[in-house]
Amino acid sequence: MTGDEAKAADVFQDTVREAAFQSANNEPPGDRYWFFREARWRCLAASEQGMMPEPVDFERHELNSRAKEQIGSLTIEQLGIWISGAPEPQRTVLALFYLAEFSVRELTTITTLKVAEIARLLGTARMEFQSWLNATVPLHDE
Amino acid sequence: MIKRPLRRRLRLLASCAPFSDKPPLDRRMRAAVSRARKSDHFVQQQEFDRAIGDLVQTIPTPPEISEWFANEHLATGVKRTWRTILLNPAVIAITLAVLVIAVVSAYKFYERLNTFPGAETAKKLLVVASATRMSQLDPMQVEAGALGDFFFMKHRLERYDVPPEFAAIKTIGVRVFDDEEGQRVAQIAASEKRLQFFFFPAQRDPKTGRPEEFAGWRFVEHEGWTGAVQQRNAVCFMACLRGGAKDLASYLPKSND
Repeated sequence: MTGDEAKAADVFQDTVREAAFQSANNEPPGDRYWFFREARWRCLAASEQGMMPEPVDFERHELNSRAKEQIGSLTIEQLGIWISGAPEPQRTVLALFYLAEFSVRELTTITTLKVAEIARLLGTARMEFQSWLNATVPLHDE
Repeated sequence: MIKRPLRRRLRLLASCAPFSDKPPLDRRMRAAVSRARKSDHFVQQQEFDRAIGDLVQTIPTPPEISEWFANEHLATGVKRTWRTILLNPAVIAITLAVLVIAVVSAYKFYERLNTFPGAETAKKLLVVASATRMSQLDPMQVEAGALGDFFFMKHRLERYDVPPEFAAIKTIGVRVFDDEEGQRVAQIAASEKRLQFFFFPAQRDPKTGRPEEFAGWRFVEHEGWTGAVQQRNAVCFMACLRGGAKDLASYLPKSND
């Protein structure tokens, strides 16, 4: 979400500290989604500080049958930079979706987006990511 | 026309289909995945998502973050007791609001139980009774039961007969006037206990135009005055005085006590 490990650690600690503070005041977070909602807003606030990525219009390519191979050669830092560079709310949808922790209904609860919007954001993100992959990890015919 | 939105819905759900090996819990999502599996595009999408998901799973958890999870009950908080729940300001506010609503509803219900057709007119006439001076009435010293003929002969008011319960009471004054709605109202002042009698037309059903009937004597109270109302032959008779229903009860049959 932040593209910066230090910022992410700060957000995590602040979120957990806030939860602990609320629990100490007999008002513990109502559900587990609270952590993700809280962390999301803190991430967005944190990423607005310091250097911010320029908005870029990516080309969109159809998914490649060898995309798995391309993704396999990426580092987690590269993936992190790509996701954190996505505009909101696409960034949140990508981060939460690829955690593989939430159902679509839970995603709509956390992000307050509709299913159609989440589907659209994921669909365009895949094609843009494929385009970026094609540029970053070009395939060589064997 | 019916199939189109369904297909679109399934396509949208398939776009967000989970890529883990576990089957989706949501029934509609299972249906969408089941149908979408037949398409190459969906298979490619799943492989694509799974590859990214695998990469995400390789992200190591920093040791300082792992430390936070040493205590699993970090954010459990103090267990809420019934006392803390009941003393919560939101719960108190909701309870008070519900109580107020319940009291108002009960009052309205009780009021509706005791109301009868013509009760509003009777209340208005209690105000008239409280404001009437003897000088406004024409002196008339007879038995109340004899006034039925007087009303018919002089004012063409049919069936304005004083009920037997009050027929023997001596009157001291009479008048006939039009109320706010233009209805002919007869007012009689009695010598006893500052009793007053009123005749007014019974309330009519706006749909059928028929008089709305009720049986026996009904009481109405307003601004310290009490009236006992009876309806007969589309005419309401009200005996009223300053005081409570007990003061009128001695004149009425015991079944109305």
